[in-house]
Parts: sequence; structure tokens; C-alpha cells
Amino acid sequence: MSTSTSHSPSLAAARQVASARTAAAPRHYGRYIYLTINIAILVFLLAPIAIVVVFALNPTPFIQFPPVGVSLRWFEKFFASRDFMHALWFSLEVAVLTTVSATALGASAALALARGNLPGTRLIVATMLSPLMLPAILTGLALFQTYVLLDVGRPTWGLVAGHTLVTLPYVVRTTLAVLHNFDTRLEEAAQNLGASPLRTFFEVTLPLIKPGVLAGAIFAFIVSFDQFPVSLFLVSPGNETLPVTLFNYLKFDLDGTIGAASVVSIVLAFVVVIGLDRTVGLRSYVKL
Amino acid sequence: MSTAAAQRPNGLALFILPSVLLFALFFFLPIGLMATMSVLTGNPVVMPKVAFTTRHYARMFDDPFYLEVIWTTIRIGLVTTLVALAIGYPLAHWMARIKSRTGHALLLMAVLAPMLTGIVVRTFAWMTLLSDKGVINETLLSLGLISQPLKLMYTETGIVVGLVHIYVPFMVLTLTGVIGRIDERLEQAAENLGASPLRAFIEVTLPLSLPGILAGSLLVFALAISAYVTPILLGGFQIMTLPILIYQQISANFNVGFAAALGIVLLMISLLLVIAYNRALGLVSGQRELQ
Amino acid sequence: MMGSSRLSRRRFLTASASLGIGTMAAPYVARADDPTLRITGWGGKWGEIMKAEIGPAFESEFKCKLQIDSAFPYLPKLQASSRSAPIYDVMHTNSNEQWAAAEMGLVEPKIDPKLVPNLADVYPYAISDKIVGVSIFTSAIGLGMRTDKGYSGVTSWKELWDAKYNGVRGGYVIPVNSLGQAFLMMCGTLFGKGQLDLDAAYAALEKLKPIKIVDFTGAMEKMLLSGEVGLCVIHDSGIYRYDGQNQPTDFVSPSEGVLSLEQVLTITPGSKMKELANAYVNYMLRPEVQKRLAETVWYSPANRKVKLDAKYDAKLLTTPEKVSKLIQVDWKWYNERKDEIDQRVNRIFRA
Repeated sequence: MSTSTSHSPSLAAARQVASARTAAAPRHYGRYIYLTINIAILVFLLAPIAIVVVFALNPTPFIQFPPVGVSLRWFEKFFASRDFMHALWFSLEVAVLTTVSATALGASAALALARGNLPGTRLIVATMLSPLMLPAILTGLALFQTYVLLDVGRPTWGLVAGHTLVTLPYVVRTTLAVLHNFDTRLEEAAQNLGASPLRTFFEVTLPLIKPGVLAGAIFAFIVSFDQFPVSLFLVSPGNETLPVTLFNYLKFDLDGTIGAASVVSIVLAFVVVIGLDRTVGLRSYVKL
Repeated sequence: MSTAAAQRPNGLALFILPSVLLFALFFFLPIGLMATMSVLTGNPVVMPKVAFTTRHYARMFDDPFYLEVIWTTIRIGLVTTLVALAIGYPLAHWMARIKSRTGHALLLMAVLAPMLTGIVVRTFAWMTLLSDKGVINETLLSLGLISQPLKLMYTETGIVVGLVHIYVPFMVLTLTGVIGRIDERLEQAAENLGASPLRAFIEVTLPLSLPGILAGSLLVFALAISAYVTPILLGGFQIMTLPILIYQQISANFNVGFAAALGIVLLMISLLLVIAYNRALGLVSGQRELQ
Repeated sequence: MMGSSRLSRRRFLTASASLGIGTMAAPYVARADDPTLRITGWGGKWGEIMKAEIGPAFESEFKCKLQIDSAFPYLPKLQASSRSAPIYDVMHTNSNEQWAAAEMGLVEPKIDPKLVPNLADVYPYAISDKIVGVSIFTSAIGLGMRTDKGYSGVTSWKELWDAKYNGVRGGYVIPVNSLGQAFLMMCGTLFGKGQLDLDAAYAALEKLKPIKIVDFTGAMEKMLLSGEVGLCVIHDSGIYRYDGQNQPTDFVSPSEGVLSLEQVLTITPGSKMKELANAYVNYMLRPEVQKRLAETVWYSPANRKVKLDAKYDAKLLTTPEKVSKLIQVDWKWYNERKDEIDQRVNRIFRA
């Protein structure tokens, strides 16, 4: 399967000719189908979220359609609930701790892998990515059994460790991607101009890989905040993450409080994503 | 990327150590312990007199129920992956090729926002849509198109729909990076040589994006076979997948050993798939980039 | 600017959190050095009244802090915690879990009547040999039905098997739910030689499909209210607690008998708060506390001396005769066979 990128002048000429032969009717038709399919997919992605908002405002305390009115009672219930608020804070806390450790460990691992001339790099990379490939429930179960065997109970650091394990691969992946597209001549140029390796690292390398690291960090945060299988085994009474608390809530009530929680999460999501996009221009780097 | 001749590890290599420690302590050790628990009769910390046994594994093969559960889990995983691929690819392609910055930002938000609402919320959303008294059935009933509610939930199909919805963003984000790195000029060259856009896509873009397809598929499959919330709620507790069984064994039967054995089986299946993925990846590309 | 958006989000969350805490402000604010008693308790209506009234009242009388875990199931968490430092001091759950816990040595099988004097005032069933710890409340497991769908005249358990309920029949995930487990044994009585006739029970359950199953009664309550389910196995509390809301639901005490769903308290042997734990058990058996809880969630109180208001008295089990009709299940026997029962039942109920 060979690919070739030709920069030959004939290609440029051919392209000019092609653009002169502007889009024929079949092309428009194809484009139309393409857009329709994509819009339909977007609707599929977003419609259920929109529906939940409807239920968040519907005062009936069980699943019923069509809605009978607009009420903020579920939002009140959500914010008034000590359990939910504590879970929200705890989830944020765990997500932040996880993001910090996953980013620190993952970025440094990626650096070592890309630049450190380690033996068996490919195997190590595959191993580092394995928590992504293996069902998270196994990680949760294995950690749970380990903590039980070691009789340490289920401490918060144990939960953060589990989350770090399943989010670190994202950081490694995005950082490696940036490092591979990296033009090392920039570093060579800096060193030719007299900078020490250390200074080159901090003033040239690090700033240039920052977007990749940051993208990984964002994934780490998102995945940790929404993480369920690991948390299911590793949370302890009084220290539960929001997904677990929401799930347990469904045992007692199938009402709009879940909808209220979702609206809050969506608002949070937009604020975080927009804010980060503005500062970091993350859109070009949020790819796995 | 500069090619390194067989050089000795430099100072940067040390940066791998913290991660190695994390993996050793919190991944390999626990999995090793889990493998050990799967062959013991009980928890050695609580019951000092434990013996080695293969009865946990034997139990799995004694009763075809467990093999069915394993197969159900894999089947749901495969279908979810394929559908997620079919749905995720067009969206990823659009996102990778879109020229306007605002457009890209909007698409990105549309893909990320569902991810941040959480699994439980999204599963609940599907419950409101699919249950007998949910949105779809009530709408169809009121329009007179059906006389009895359709059984949309409580089935594997319902589970797949929910899982696809939840994991498509992961597929999209994996694919969009790979597709974005494919030089558009290659497609244009093919079209200039007479191929229709569709043919250019099938014969140029698609093969080049194969590494991304494999990576995204493996990711979604691993997530799908690990799913707990969605299968249990959308399946109405009547469809048993491996994670549900494992959790039930721990929480309702207190069988740590059997749960561990089930876990090891799941691990083996996943490892086989990772190996297959790596083989396929090697075949598909003279892959120089690490994906 | 990221700075300002982060700040506003934090401000928003802090404002909401303090709004939340303000609304929940109990009259007694525990001090940091007060002892903490860790217990379990249901969510839903029970959880609300515990958090709003009973809990704070206990906290102020005994100068302590009450930490309630409402994320069921509790036993695996207790099992996962260290024996010398258990995560609960008092465990409140149903009989089946308590028996399993006692078998594992995680809870003390009997409560000491010298430390819990109110034990002297309870009905015999609450401390019978079918009970580990003490039962503070009970409910009757029977049938719940919609009254607006024309299902009149339901009087027997066997009607659940009637084909007209296909599509609206409700039951439980037997491996994880005690009502489901009790119901299974009832099937043995209905169609076989008794509670212990598992073969008859399995055969009966096979015929019960199609059925919608849930893992917890709260979800069943909601399904009945929304109409997703029309006739289901449920305890009387799950129906009566919506009294006054004009819901089209009613409870049926089948002629073959109702099963007992006990709310049981036990104390963990490794607890460092034994005195407070026993005080809590005693507190929950006080007539005033029993009355308040019974009238909120419609549980039948275990204390004989409790006098409920007329409308509760009419429907709940408040006399020795009524209480003696409750069928108590042999949990010890069931738990010994749970693995094989679960294996069988999982196969029966898969879609």
C-alpha cells in the first residue's frame, strides 16, 4: 500500500485545469447527500440531549411524554441535594487531580518515547496505550480486588490512580502525535544559535508541543469526569463521583433531576470548551 | 521525523520512569492479583486457609449460559463498533475537511458536548426516548401510526443504539485526526485523472484512513464491551453482558474469585483483539507514525 | 478569556452550592470534633425525611454527626472495607443482605437487649430466629396495580400469570433484590410443595414472561406511576406512600398471603462507636420516631406501642393478628443456594 505525495509542477498545472472544469452537476448532487447525511448524524447526536432538557423542565416525577409544563423544581432538587453537590465537587476534584497526574506522567512518557532512544519503543507504546484498549471495568475490578487484598479500603488516591491509568493513554497519544510532526530543525537552529539543550527544551520544544499536551489534558479531564466502570468499584460512601451518584439515584427516582444534572453538565461543557478554545486554539489539536 | 540509528538511551529516557511505576503498581500488579484470585477458593486476607482451584473457570464452561454471556458481550461490541464507524466516518470527514473556523468549532462542540453530559445522563435520555411511555412511542401512538407501543428498549438493538450514541464521539475524534493528515491533493489528483468523487474517496481516502479506522474501532470496541450503565438500563436488566455479570457476582453473590475469572476471560479476549489490531496495522501501512 | 470564564463558572458553582447548603441547614450544626456515626439508609422518601428531621434530631440529642450512605448495595462495600475499620457502624438493609453479612461475620447476629431497651416492646417477628439484628419496620409484599386500566378484582398471586398483563407485568432482578427473592419462594408455595420447592418456582417463573424487571422498588414505583407497568410485585409502602396524590394505583393483599419485607438494623463488630450505634438502634425503635417514619413512608412499625393515626392504622399492619399473617422467608436457606438460584434465574429471564 504505497502512497506518494508528488510536488511536481504537472500536478499544479493539472489542478488549475481541474478547477477550470468547475463542479459538474453530479458533484453537487454528491455534496448534497454528504451534507444531508452529516446533518442527520448531528441530529442523532444532539437530539437526545435536547430531549433531556425537556424532561428537566417537565414537573412530572417519572418518564412521561408529552410534557405537562415548565418547572424548575428538578433544578432546585439537584442544587439542594447535598449528595449531588458533593458528588459534583468530588468529580471535579478527582478530574483535576487525574488531569494533572495524567498530563505530567503522559507527556513525560511521550517525550521519553519519542526522543529518549529507548529499546523496544513500540512495545512500550503499545503497553502504555493498553488501558485504552482493555475494558475499563477490568481495571476497576483489578484495582478493587488489590485494594481489598491490601486492606487499604477505598481511598481517594486509589480512585485517582485508577482514573490516571485510563486517561494517561490519551495524553501519550496526543503528545506523541505532536512530537512526530515536530520539525526538529527548529531545535537544531536554536542550538546552533547557542542555546543549551535545556534552554532549547524549555523555550522551543515545550511551547511547540503544548497544544498536543493540552489536548491530551482536555481528554483526560473529560474522560475522568464521565468515567464510570472504574469509579463504580472504587468510590466509597460519602466520596462518590457524579456518574455513580446519578446512577444510584435512578434506583429511587426516574425523574427530571437527571435532566437537571445534564443541563448543568452541558453548560459546564460549553464554558470549558469555549474558554479553552479561545485561549489555546485547541480545535486544531483535539484529535485522538 | 529524524531517524535515529541504534543510539543509546539519553537523559530524556528517564522521563518514562514515573509512568512505568504507575503501570507496575496500578496495572500489572492488580491484574496479576486478579489472575491469582481467579484460581483461589477465597480471599486470603480474610480466610487464611485458601487453596488453588480451577473451579471458577470450570464453572464457566460447565454451563453454556456463561459462554452465551461472553458471546452477547462481543456481539454487542462488534455491532456497536460497525455502526459507530458508519456514522462516525462521514462526520469525521466533514470535520477534518471543513474550511471555516467557526464551522469546525461548532462541530467540535457538537461532538464534545454529549461526551461531557455523562454516560448516565445520555442513557437516561435514551430511556426517555425508547421506553413504552417514552417520546417515540407516545408520538407514534398519538399519530395513530401504531396501536401498541413498539418494544424499542429491553432489546439488544436498544442497547446498541445507546452505545453507538455514547461512543461515536470517540470514533469521530480518532478518525478526524487521521483524515486531516491525508493530503487533499491526493484526492484531487485522482479526480483530475478522471475518477468520480466517490471513487476517489473509495480508492484513495478510505485506504489511507485505514489506520484511523482500526484505531477508532479498537477504542470503541473496548469501550463497548466494558459498558455497564447502558446495557443494564436499556436492556431492562434482561440482557446479560460480561460487565453486568461481573458486577452482579461481586455485589450480589460476593464471589470475588468467580468475578476475577470472568475478568481474566474478558482480558484474554481484549488482548487477542489488540494483537489482531497490531497485525492489521502492520499490514495496512508501512506505518511510521505511532498511532 | 479563559480566566474570566473559569471564574464565572466557579462563582456559579459556589453560589449554587451555598444555596444548596443554606436550604439544607439543620438546626444543629455538628462541630468538627463530634463523633461520627456511619450508617446506611435508603434514598427516595425515606432518605428525605431522615435528612430533614430524624437525622438532625438524633444528631442534636446525642451530640454527634450522622453520615448516611444511600448507594445500595451496601454489603459489598462493607465487605471491601477493612474488618478492623468497617465503613459502617450500623447497617440498615433488608433481611437477605443482613443474613449474608452475618454469615461472613460482617455484622453481629444479635442485638443486646440490655443496650437497646426498646427491644422489649417489639413484635415477636422483629427478633425471631428468621431475623439477624432487629427489624425496625416491615412491609407486606403483594401486588400493585393500576386502577384505571380495568384490572378489577385482582385477588390472587396467580393472576400475575394471566396473559392479559403481557407487556405491563412488573417484577425484579432476583439476584439483587429481596422482593424478587421472596417472590421466588412464594412461587414455590403457590405452585409446588412450599417455599423450598425450587423446581416449581423455576417452572412458574418461566411462564411469567414477558415481564419488565427492575433492580429496585423505587424504579418499580415509577414504572407503575407512569403506566409502563400495570400489575407488579411490590410492597404496600411503595403504593401507599403516594397517598394524597390521587395516583391511579392500589395495593392488593393476595389471598395466598403476603410476604414480609423487613427493614433490619445490625451493628458491625469492628465499629468504634458501639455505644452510639446501640443508641441509634434504640432511637429508631422509639414510638415517636417509629410513628413519624411510618406515617411518612407507610412502613409498619415494629414497636407494639406505636399508635398510628386512623388512616395509616387502617392499611398498615399494627396489631399482633395482622402482623402474624406476614410470611417470613428462610433467608439462611436461600443464601446457601443463592449462587445456583441466580445462575438459573439469570437464564430464565434473559430476553
